[in-house]
Amino acid sequence: MSPEITAELERDPVYLVRTPAFDGPIELLLTLAQRAEVDLKAIPLAGLTDDYLRAIEQDHPPLDRLAAFLVIGARLVQLKAAGLMPQATVGEEEDLQAWEDAIKGRLEEYKRFKELADSLMRRHASGRFTFAGLLEPDVIPQARVQVSLDAVASAFRQVLDRLPPADQVTVEMEHVSLAEKLEELRQMLARQAQLNFSAIFRHARTRLEAVVTFLALLELIRIGEARVAQVSAFGEITVHRQERKEAE
Amino acid sequence: MSSSTDGATQVRDTTGLAAALEAVLFTLNRAVTVLELQDILQSPLPDIEAAAASLSDALLGRGLFLQRHQDQLQLVTDPGQSDVVRRVLRPEYPSRLSPAAYETLAIIAYRQPLTRARIEEIRGVNCEAVLESLEEKGLITETGRLDTPGTPRLFGTTMKFLQILGLRSLDELPPSPQSDSTSS
Repeated sequence: MSPEITAELERDPVYLVRTPAFDGPIELLLTLAQRAEVDLKAIPLAGLTDDYLRAIEQDHPPLDRLAAFLVIGARLVQLKAAGLMPQATVGEEEDLQAWEDAIKGRLEEYKRFKELADSLMRRHASGRFTFAGLLEPDVIPQARVQVSLDAVASAFRQVLDRLPPADQVTVEMEHVSLAEKLEELRQMLARQAQLNFSAIFRHARTRLEAVVTFLALLELIRIGEARVAQVSAFGEITVHRQERKEAE
Repeated sequence: MSSSTDGATQVRDTTGLAAALEAVLFTLNRAVTVLELQDILQSPLPDIEAAAASLSDALLGRGLFLQRHQDQLQLVTDPGQSDVVRRVLRPEYPSRLSPAAYETLAIIAYRQPLTRARIEEIRGVNCEAVLESLEEKGLITETGRLDTPGTPRLFGTTMKFLQILGLRSLDELPPSPQSDSTSS
């Protein structure tokens, strides 16, 4: 503690300790304990804090007084704990100063990083990113840019998201057959050898219809009548007509 | 183009090596360590460093940018071109992070490599979740383990960290008023 604070505390004690072993201001108790002129083992600190908590409820002391008690109390606990452990030594005033400096240093360090964090945040928010190049599809064999099942599934999820959610259930007899959808897809591919993935679902009015269409597409891929491809990363997935390889 | 020497032990000048470096970084299209480059370019480290400096200078004012994260080099687009690149790419880049995430990133960026315990000592709170999220976003990574009981993980930033901030290297971070790089 700085000398000014100590002086002020002496004029107006934070708390008066009343125990058989020590009777007086708590600041004095700390000073004497530091000089080993009072045996802290004889003073029940838990009782002392209990009393102080009661005093807080009655008198509502100002915040700086509460803080002062906390600092002194913590130091007393540290001294007592050190006294109970035979090996530990507790330093004198210089040590207390070092301890205060360490805490102040830590707060300053944190404040500095907070400022640096703000500058990183502003830099990030400015959007001045750098980007690595993407693989050029012409250079990489088509086989290596084949669409993964995940990409197809996520494209399908996007289709579903555009359709009305299935919250209100109106039970209607709706008949969408896989065979019909298969035929419909075949006809679409017969007219146009290449279709956009989303175009296939353009006529789907309900989720069920979209699901069946998707199943039909998977079936066509399975039996080798269609394949899916993606020309560039993030690009549209396309569905291609493919001649079915007869007899494996 | 002369083809008089058969190339194997050809001695190249810095400009020539810088051109070769550019070609390699362009085709590999990823972060490449200087160690790898010594092997690829068949040149000693000081020559690679000189070539990197030369390439970096040559790219000033161009659309590309030589980025360096510790011992890794990567050819990327210039931060000044980010708008046009984003228009064509529509990439997924981590958008705003939480204040806690920026704080943690700042601590790691200036004090790396360091342990979670050291980060928590500075921030005064548990940082497990925020570290996990930064690692998942690829902005930080485990750079090693400390040789003390429990061998705690050491964290450091990544190339991606430079990429979302548009920095040429960690040296371009705003100066830290007082950095003690000794503590970890």
